[in-house]
Amino acid sequence: MNVIEINGLTKHYGKARGIEDVTFSVKEGEIFGFIGPNGAGKSTTIRTLLSLIYPTGGSATILGMDMIKDAPEIKKQVGYLPSEVFYYDNMKVIDLLNYSASFYKKDCSSRIKELAERLDLDLNKKIEDLSFGNKKKVGIVQGLLHSPKLIILDEPTSGLDPLMQQTFFDLLKEENEKGVTILFSSHILSEVQKLCDRVAIIKDGKIVKVEKISTLRENNYKKFHIETKTPADQEMFNFEGIKDLEMEGNSIRFLFKGDLNPIMGRIAELDIGNVWIEEPDLEEIFMHYYEKEDQGREHV
Amino acid sequence: MNMYRHEFKNVLKSTLIWTLSIMAITIFFFSMYPTFSEEAESLKRMLEGFPDALLQALNFNITAFTSILGFYSYIFVYISLAGAIQAMVLGTGIASREIREKTADFLLTKPVTRQSIMTSKLLAAFTAIIITNAGYLSTAYLMAVIVETEGFSQGIFFMISLSLFFIQLIFLSVGVITAVLISRLKAVLPVSLGTVFAFFVINMFSKSIGDEKMGYFTPFHYFDSMYILQHETYNPSNMILAFVLVVLLIISSYVVYTKKDIHTI
Amino acid sequence: MNIFLQELKAYRKSLTIWIIGVLVMVFSGMSKYAGMEGAGQSLNELMNNMPGVLKAMLGIQSLDVSSPLGFYGVLFTYLVIMLTVHAVMIGSTILSKEERDKTAEFLMTKPVTRPFIITSKLFAAAVQVTILTIVSFVSSLAAVYYFAGEGEFFREILIFSLGLWMLQVLFLTIGSGIAAMKKNPKKAPALSAAILLFTFFISIMADMTENLQPLKYITPFQYVTADMVINGNGIDGIYIFLTCILVSVFIWVTYDRYRKRDLYV
Repeated sequence: MNVIEINGLTKHYGKARGIEDVTFSVKEGEIFGFIGPNGAGKSTTIRTLLSLIYPTGGSATILGMDMIKDAPEIKKQVGYLPSEVFYYDNMKVIDLLNYSASFYKKDCSSRIKELAERLDLDLNKKIEDLSFGNKKKVGIVQGLLHSPKLIILDEPTSGLDPLMQQTFFDLLKEENEKGVTILFSSHILSEVQKLCDRVAIIKDGKIVKVEKISTLRENNYKKFHIETKTPADQEMFNFEGIKDLEMEGNSIRFLFKGDLNPIMGRIAELDIGNVWIEEPDLEEIFMHYYEKEDQGREHV
Repeated sequence: MNMYRHEFKNVLKSTLIWTLSIMAITIFFFSMYPTFSEEAESLKRMLEGFPDALLQALNFNITAFTSILGFYSYIFVYISLAGAIQAMVLGTGIASREIREKTADFLLTKPVTRQSIMTSKLLAAFTAIIITNAGYLSTAYLMAVIVETEGFSQGIFFMISLSLFFIQLIFLSVGVITAVLISRLKAVLPVSLGTVFAFFVINMFSKSIGDEKMGYFTPFHYFDSMYILQHETYNPSNMILAFVLVVLLIISSYVVYTKKDIHTI
Repeated sequence: MNIFLQELKAYRKSLTIWIIGVLVMVFSGMSKYAGMEGAGQSLNELMNNMPGVLKAMLGIQSLDVSSPLGFYGVLFTYLVIMLTVHAVMIGSTILSKEERDKTAEFLMTKPVTRPFIITSKLFAAAVQVTILTIVSFVSSLAAVYYFAGEGEFFREILIFSLGLWMLQVLFLTIGSGIAAMKKNPKKAPALSAAILLFTFFISIMADMTENLQPLKYITPFQYVTADMVINGNGIDGIYIFLTCILVSVFIWVTYDRYRKRDLYV
């Protein structure tokens, strides 16, 4: 079953571009990454899904319900954490969380306590006295306290130190194991890589690709770095599947895609000092997608 | 109910400050009545020498003007100014709160409709106005009874007093519609103060020069206390106008608020 | 210079609205003059003998509204109310809005001193206040000559306008002084508005009875009065002196407190 189904969602701001024909779906129990650079349209998509803004065209369903018509019903099951959190002045953390909980008609007090302990959050402080990172923790508790079936995160990790980020990711994974679906928007690819099963890549308001993380990796180049004891002949690397060859003294770097056996054979002929073969990280794959898109457009 | 409580708690302090201030203004004004009535007596004696025709031409009922109710209808203009400012600030403030405090992401991702958010806010503001009027009404009545020993028409007194509530309702809805229409309203007070004073000045000016038509442009005129004093009733057409205005403004506030895009901070 | 220009830009919408407001007020106000001509001389006699409170009640003060300047004098009192609202609001928001909009960190980390920022902002506010005065002066001249025809009004309208400017500058510095003093600058506009309303109500009470004459010194609304100007007495030197002192004090407070203050971020 699809928890989120987005169909040709479009939002224009006057003449300015918002998002154009965004279509993808998120399956139940999945951690779905939504990546793209700043201003690509991630927040616009998410804010439309939450019916904070209304689409110019297209539609979406969440948990099988219409995103606009059934918005209040949907929101009972959704937890949301934006990148910057702001709360009412003059409230203690616990007051705000209780106020938040009061919207869901169930007892969340033990859950609040548990989450606050995990995140090391002082419930009796005034919110305006909290640091940015601590406010963020309030946001996390606030988004999770009602045990939602779908968690929507819009660039959620800013302001959290690495340790807290890890705790946060652990929390998300635990939720996910309980069957909770997560939509995770980010421009930091390493965190998406760590967490997500599938990703949608958005650029200039359009979805460029929806793919499994593993497939994204498989279909890609491997990074080779070889150090030789004696300088090697450039001719040896005139080889099908090699790209971006760089030779500098005893150091050879290139990207390779294809059957690994012949290339390994060729390397074995060298007088090897050291060798590294690395998976490209998502960052590089991502850049690769973007370049491809741009080149494609130039030709058109 | 939770939202109502939350909003009400937020406006409670300022409501109490406003209520107490309006009560204080009322006490001060009423305590000037004894001086006023002395001066009025000497005027009455002076006017005895004037031809009746002139006084009639002036539409000038000296006894009514120098009575406690005449005095009251004069000072009431200023009390309603204070009340109108309170109501407009309240309306703009409560309806723009999510934008100003950047809490739209918090509130609007909760499982409630925007209509119910608006309703809670309006009810909270409404309660605040009721409190102010209760405080005002009791103070004004008490003061009137203290300073005027000879008694007065309670019907007219309450009619004038109650118009504070109606004027506040109008300005509350003006405030709410302003807040939902201006997408990033931050300067609540300058906008409210400017608007209320503009309407106030239009009313005063139209009174000074006796221009009735100008009065239709200002809510202060709809419940003109001098009119109530002279006719012993509200002006029916203005009453309808006020009612239609409030209903229209509130409905449009709902419509605009539910339809509008809530942007990122 | 950059901050000064930025501030002017930030307020251009509000200034435009205010300019339009002043123009509408002056022209539509004076256009009513024609209909007022020819009221009897006996009426004026009556008015002159009337106690202050009754004149105030009738909204005529001691002005002869059948003369062009008397009529303009009524309009002037309302111009004063509107433009002092503007002045006190701009004075208190131009400094405090950085903290309200959370742009204080942006501005204060630039290589400029706080006094420089204050100077730029105060100048930007003063320029706007001055523009409004000039608009009011020129439009008043045009409107009075247009609707009243013959007569010598230039000197009086010039004095009116200078008085208007003086009061605006006073309220502007009151606003900025409060904004610099308050720890939580979000509350500055509220306190400034409270002071404005307080002095306004004092002025009304001072108008109502002779016993409260000393109050005239504590409310700027009594510093420039229409009847003084029309009778050729201009503005009383004591009030000019008082205004100068108050303005200097508030400017000093603005610089001194804002320089030493922790920013509210």
